[in-house]
Amino acid sequence: MVFVEINVQSLDSFNRALEENKGKAIFVYFTGTKDAKGLSWCPDCVKAEPIVRAELSKLPEGSIFIYCQTGDKSCWKDPNNVFRKSFKLSSIPTLLKYGTPQKLVEEELLNSELVQMLFTED
Amino acid sequence: MRGWGRGRCSVLNGLPEIIPTFNSFLLQFEGKYDYDLLVIGGGSGGLACSKEAAQLGRKVAVLDYVEPSPKGTRWGLGGTCVNVGCIPKKLMHQAALLGTAVKDATKYGWDIPSPVRHDWATMAQAIQNHVKSLNWGHRVQLQDKKVTYLNLKGSFVDNHTIQGVSKTGKKTVLTAENIVIATGGRPKYPPQVPGAELGISSDDIFWFKDSPGKTLVVGGSYVGLECAGFLTGIGLNTSLMVRSIPLRGFDQQMAQLVTDHMVSHGTRLLWKCVPRSVERETSGRLHVTWSDQQSGRVEGDTFDTVMWAVGRTAETKELSLERAGVPVNPKTGKIIVGAGEESSVPNIYAIGDVTEGRPELTPTAIRAGKLLARRLCGQVTELMDYDKVPTTVFTPLEYGCVGLSEEKAVSSFGQDNIEVYHAYYKPLEFSVTERGANQCYIKMLCLREGDQRILGLHFIGPNAGEVIQGFALAIKCEATYSQLVATVGIHPTCAEDVNKLNITKRSRLDPTVTGC
Repeated sequence: MVFVEINVQSLDSFNRALEENKGKAIFVYFTGTKDAKGLSWCPDCVKAEPIVRAELSKLPEGSIFIYCQTGDKSCWKDPNNVFRKSFKLSSIPTLLKYGTPQKLVEEELLNSELVQMLFTED
Repeated sequence: MRGWGRGRCSVLNGLPEIIPTFNSFLLQFEGKYDYDLLVIGGGSGGLACSKEAAQLGRKVAVLDYVEPSPKGTRWGLGGTCVNVGCIPKKLMHQAALLGTAVKDATKYGWDIPSPVRHDWATMAQAIQNHVKSLNWGHRVQLQDKKVTYLNLKGSFVDNHTIQGVSKTGKKTVLTAENIVIATGGRPKYPPQVPGAELGISSDDIFWFKDSPGKTLVVGGSYVGLECAGFLTGIGLNTSLMVRSIPLRGFDQQMAQLVTDHMVSHGTRLLWKCVPRSVERETSGRLHVTWSDQQSGRVEGDTFDTVMWAVGRTAETKELSLERAGVPVNPKTGKIIVGAGEESSVPNIYAIGDVTEGRPELTPTAIRAGKLLARRLCGQVTELMDYDKVPTTVFTPLEYGCVGLSEEKAVSSFGQDNIEVYHAYYKPLEFSVTERGANQCYIKMLCLREGDQRILGLHFIGPNAGEVIQGFALAIKCEATYSQLVATVGIHPTCAEDVNKLNITKRSRLDPTVTGC
């Protein structure tokens, strides 16, 4: 593995992951929280995840992939959802390169070439 | 497929100066090119053209490569408008307008500690981030619309073959049935001024991380006026040097008012002055000398930054156009095109700032590019209409116009056949702040006979672009003075003063608007 995946579900752990990986290329995937059975309530996230995962091997050497579960349905739909507010998210799934304007949302994530572009281009 | 077949006949029809390479010659008979369409240049025109053609099912690639400025500034996909033109310019203009608004605000009761300070770094960071997000957005759109993006510098091998060179020098050869040149233009440096290389251009100013400090802007072009305007507006000591006239090609009465306002707004105008030399002082600052052509004296001053806005050159020199047989105007270096944006080589077209005689405006390039793509795909026969294209100069007091200048109206129709309506007006908002409205002025040129068809409209004042856009539609639809005055205004606005125009220059009555 050339990259490290970090799973977070709270803003605290998110910020800790950022702090611990300062200076590295950080990619964040915001998605709906999965239930105990590992199922997501968010159909778009379910569709996008395998496409995003299939491209992870293209991540740059030494980069960080934060897999961020933003909450269950009611938690995400709340306009005050911490991730929604902190990262100005309008929808999930969202994939972004932290600290850059490079961002893909919803159906853009069904296009593996776009995902690859986000992972590989400066 | 109508339209796309045209290029194939070019060699068979015999243009004697074109000797295609064996490779391309063979492909011509097989009808197999790498792409249906290759676009050189990923600016406003090139992106619009390539996306449109791809959406109509063609196999399209766009080559974009940004040669760093002499100062080393580089940027991403999207061309001049996005990176070093309209977008950052308008945002810096907005930063300057906010400064004025903050000063006005105290008159409206806001308690604002003074002096207010502007931080360039904050502004620049925010604007540069936005531009970067647009670069990314363009990349996403190309990918989405299945246009192949190639970060290569393209040049012709023959009329169907392009060589692309990467940053690292790697060469790729690409063939296409049709080729569109959309490489735009870049700022010029003055050739005869020793030390000119110490100056920057508009390619650099928007990417400065720190304030340019005390600045001399050289050039009376709209680029020069706009940059000097926003630099003054954010509180920098700014001088603007103009050799002959400001805003060449625009209505000169309006140009004079725009520069009058700039002077009252704090820009130091150096009229009829020509730069002689630029030298770096031991302090690192730049000492500039110039000749004042009116007094005959040589003057000088020291600046932190010198910015050249002395014109732009078309990016054609490195395209090897001669290998494809595409002629350019030897004076301007621009590509000569016909009404269908075609060059004299049947499968090669050009759009945007690189073309001779076209307005250097993003919206015209976009529209020309889209229409060209549709014609190439046989969808339409409609040609780009370059008549009555509105535009706005974003000086501190904005100047918007559409149609003919007074000079052009007079020379086209004769003084006796046109009626010039005009008015000085005062934006309501200015009354509370006691801001001078001496240059808020509207002029409309109409035919004198009958219902008086409108030939041109010129507006100086706040939000000139927003005001002119709607009137541009009316004028494009051949609106007349009678129809204009029959339209009810919106009160209280500046735009309503257009509808209220009633004083003619011929009457010699005072054009100062009074009352409500």
